[in-house]
Amino acid sequence: MKGDMVGGFLKIRNLEKSFGGNRVINDFSLDVTECRLQCLVGPNGAGKTTTIDLISGRQNPDSGKVWLKGDDITGLGEHEIARRGVGRKFQIPAVLKGLTVRENLEVAYSRDTNVIRNMFSLKAKGCAQKLEEVAAQVRLTDRLGAEAGLLSHGETQWLEIGMVLMQDPEILLLDEPVAGMTENEIDLTVDILNRLKRTHTIILVEHDMNFVRKIADIVTVLHMGALLAQGTLEEIEKNERVRAVYLGTEDAH
Amino acid sequence: MEKNLYHNKKLQWLTYLVVFAVLGSVPLITDDAFLLNQLATYGVYGLLAVSISLCWGSGGILNLGQGIAFGLGAYGMAMTMQMQSQAPGTIPPFMANNALEELPIFWEPFWNTGLGIVLALLVPTLFYLVFGGLMFAARVSGPFFAIMTLAILSALATVFVALQPYTNGVNGISPPGALMIGEVMIDPYSSLAYWVVFALLLFFTFAAKLLNQSRFGLVVRALKDDPERVRFLGYNVAVYETAVYALSGLMAAAAGASFAVLTQYVSPAQFEVGFSIGIVIWAAIGGRNSLLWAMLGAFMVQGAQSYAGDAFLNTWILILGFSFILVVRFLPGGFAGLVETILGRVAERKETEEDFDLESAKGATK
Repeated sequence: MKGDMVGGFLKIRNLEKSFGGNRVINDFSLDVTECRLQCLVGPNGAGKTTTIDLISGRQNPDSGKVWLKGDDITGLGEHEIARRGVGRKFQIPAVLKGLTVRENLEVAYSRDTNVIRNMFSLKAKGCAQKLEEVAAQVRLTDRLGAEAGLLSHGETQWLEIGMVLMQDPEILLLDEPVAGMTENEIDLTVDILNRLKRTHTIILVEHDMNFVRKIADIVTVLHMGALLAQGTLEEIEKNERVRAVYLGTEDAH
Repeated sequence: MEKNLYHNKKLQWLTYLVVFAVLGSVPLITDDAFLLNQLATYGVYGLLAVSISLCWGSGGILNLGQGIAFGLGAYGMAMTMQMQSQAPGTIPPFMANNALEELPIFWEPFWNTGLGIVLALLVPTLFYLVFGGLMFAARVSGPFFAIMTLAILSALATVFVALQPYTNGVNGISPPGALMIGEVMIDPYSSLAYWVVFALLLFFTFAAKLLNQSRFGLVVRALKDDPERVRFLGYNVAVYETAVYALSGLMAAAAGASFAVLTQYVSPAQFEVGFSIGIVIWAAIGGRNSLLWAMLGAFMVQGAQSYAGDAFLNTWILILGFSFILVVRFLPGGFAGLVETILGRVAERKETEEDFDLESAKGATK
């Protein structure tokens, strides 16, 4: 069975995943439309990060399918899924600490992943220009020579966003990209994301509803590993079931 | 921005050139045959240390079994040299002593010198490709991989001892003559042998240095930090790990083949666990993150062993072990790390002095 493109750039059907008998993802289906920013929200343990793990290949589902642009990508290796245009930012910022900021961005420019060709190439074509552009975008131009392990928390977040931008994937999976950022930094991220979603598809996991309000086209609410509700933020905020399980009683008055 | 001279790429290349110019000029200074042979042997150890620096320093793959490629390469070369001294149709004397009547089939290709040398380099490299491929595809890494290399190394030593009729067991193979390449004899006690080892060391060190600066080198250094992250960038980490491991195996095989030429002897001692761990210690003392310093580490430790080892006898191994502990505790980057820190301090002091000058200049103009 081949997933048809209708209604889905990324298409997830009947995903199931258990860890040690504990069902984390329970018959979860989702359609993501091209060039939209879709927020995954839900209480702790709802299965948001696990969903990202299942899409990007870090975990294999027990059953169910994931299609990207009509191709079945379920169970492929992480690097194969990445090559098909899926980029990922981790919840705990994962940068290469022993490398400089510049090297982090260079290695993320992974247009050519062939081992032999890379042995005979000192510089990737177009990398320098892209690097300059991205470094300016994430405000790290002055920090290019610094070791990534010495960056502050905010800078580390920026660097990882910069790495995803260097990779230039078609679909971005961002796991809490603004955690630990100041208000100014969050505003800048909002700018970047709003510009990015004109050309890219984005799935974003987030707790902070104020941030979600500024960027989300569609909000998907997960609860106990299953889809609880989906729609615009307004619709979600009006939804009684969502209020009950997620927004809590204090928001319901 | 980069003020630390240690990180200046041009200066790095210059240092490599100067060190190799010094090494290359040795035969012009001395014609002491014994000394040349000894120094050429150090060159072999240096090449081994460079191979460890490539896979451990750059790629973070701790390899306690580099003797696998070294020993296989040495056996390949010794077999080639042995067959050069055999009249057609005869078999090496040790085989006759072990009641073999015909040359075993896997010895046949070594009648041909060119093929023999190619096999001496190719067999260990392929072994590394297959073994490394299996391990890295299963995401075996760190201490688990190091233990696997140790296990394979010990197993190989046992196999080579056990297959006495084919390998002459613990006695090993001692070819009666020096290696002949066409009409040219590579006398182990000659400047020619020194040049051959020098050329190999030069080629592999510079190739490895270039490789470290390539995109491949960048990915390899990245996966040393966080293989998981590198996978999500689209790189097949197992392939990169296998490649860097096999390339270091090729270098160790070349070192092994040279060793057989220099000593005209090979035995299961080349598979000794202590020797392979020694290579790691050379690289650690010199500085595993620098190819050049790893090589110098091999020269320092082996040089000290040749001279101080005679004086201290068995105490030497204790001294070596103690210096290793000192390095791990106080110089985690080895001597290379020490130089890096010193140059970093110098750069910092310069910077603050310049700032101070700038301040006082401003004050003066006011």
